[in-house]
Amino acid sequence: MTGERVKSNLVRQLGRDPGIIIVNRGLALSKSYVVFAIFFASVAILTANFGNASLGGAPANSGIYLRPLSLLSVALIAIAGVTLTTSVILLYVYDKNNGVLEYFLSLGMNQGDIYKRYLKAGLILVSLLMVAVTVANVGIGLILGRAVTVPLAATGIAAALSLSIVSFDTMAMMAFSSLQKQRAGANQPLGLALGGLLVVPAYLTPLILPFIVVVAVDLAEAVIIAALSVALLLLSSRLISREKLLP
Amino acid sequence: MHTLELHNVNSGYNKKTVLHDITLTIQEPSIYVVLGPNGAGKTTLFRTIAGILEPYSGEVVFDGENVTSSRDVRKRINYLSHYNAIPEEMTVYSALTFYANMQGGSVDQVLALLHLQELTDTKISDLSQGQKKRVSVAKVFLQERDLYLMDEPTSNLDPGYSKEIRDILLKLSKDRIVLYSTHNLYEANDIGTNLILIKNGTIALTEKISNIQLKEYRVGIRASTDISKIIDAERGEQGYYVLSVSSPEEAGQILKKLIENGVLVTEMRQLENPLQELYETA
Repeated sequence: MTGERVKSNLVRQLGRDPGIIIVNRGLALSKSYVVFAIFFASVAILTANFGNASLGGAPANSGIYLRPLSLLSVALIAIAGVTLTTSVILLYVYDKNNGVLEYFLSLGMNQGDIYKRYLKAGLILVSLLMVAVTVANVGIGLILGRAVTVPLAATGIAAALSLSIVSFDTMAMMAFSSLQKQRAGANQPLGLALGGLLVVPAYLTPLILPFIVVVAVDLAEAVIIAALSVALLLLSSRLISREKLLP
Repeated sequence: MHTLELHNVNSGYNKKTVLHDITLTIQEPSIYVVLGPNGAGKTTLFRTIAGILEPYSGEVVFDGENVTSSRDVRKRINYLSHYNAIPEEMTVYSALTFYANMQGGSVDQVLALLHLQELTDTKISDLSQGQKKRVSVAKVFLQERDLYLMDEPTSNLDPGYSKEIRDILLKLSKDRIVLYSTHNLYEANDIGTNLILIKNGTIALTEKISNIQLKEYRVGIRASTDISKIIDAERGEQGYYVLSVSSPEEAGQILKKLIENGVLVTEMRQLENPLQELYETA
């Protein structure tokens, strides 16, 4: 099989992947969230590299106080992730309201199967964002001729935190979307607010705690939220009845 | 041969029961018209049979398997909701491909079946309500299944397309069970062989449509001369002479009498739909 055919088959397979389809549909439906996410991610990249660059002329022992500023980028990247995946949550509500989820159920899926599709899409979006942020950090580091250890560490922590927060946020918003009375995505501020609330520790800790403690707090939060998301996903079919997915 | 059984099914939404103790067995392949006023529970019945709603009590069994707990049996059921369930931002072709990737079937085949070829590249959001309905129906016909639950499949459709869909379902019903809800009583009378009448979430009647008897038949006759001098009929709507008879046999005797009197009868028809009375009293 030639390289072209392998590539073409791969593209076709990816095009049929439910997660990729939801990503494309979500982004097509609400482009403004992409713009906001790019804005937050850009500020995050600048913050990571500003915190890092400021070490250049500072005494060695001041690093422990300055480096946590780079970790503010963790919170900003997580917010960018939450903003980006709002498009997936909106699509979920949209699909619920026009009967697409009802049709999925009629095809033999259960609640968990459906949630997994949208969750996967959210995680794909966050992963793409992380790749973009990493590339940007490395690029800036190379241009400025500086070590990229701290920005990359911040991106790594942000990846762990963002993936867990987005998982929880997406699951929670899908599970409780039936609470909203107003149609067509009235839950988006709540989704953003929930995601924003979970990011608060990542905002505050770099301002008051040393670098290593901030890293520990962020990672611990990521692990706890990830565990909650998995529990919510596993229990979704029991906790949430199928009727909640009906228009 | 397939069997659909509902045993003492109670079902509804938010713990509010809509269907009350429904027990029903369907074995004969045919089209079963589900009739009832708005809010009677037709859609809830369809959703429960499709396994979308889990009954509060009782069970739905298709070919010996519980629909609620078995994914495999749910995959043998085709359900058409009265929501179109088509992603509006997609084109007709991509929307049907989206579903074909999930459930199988040939997109080109259903496009041809429902004459949608000219619309393949049109966005769903740009279609008329009737065209959207055809796409929605097309997704259900992507793959043949053993049980069809069609909730108002011809609403918003013009008569030509309605007939095509009815013809497809008539063909399928030769060896499958088709449940078909409609508010069009003439359509119900035309397509259905059996009637399931829903009233306040219970089954008020299951009967062969041919067996449904009315208390009184109003018959309209168009004839070459004034027949009111021969039979007890009044000049009524749309040029018909209208009379009431107690049975179809009596109508036959009247026709015979007119012919014996040398009257050229150009048309004789039942003015009411036999389902009208049932529907109004439901």
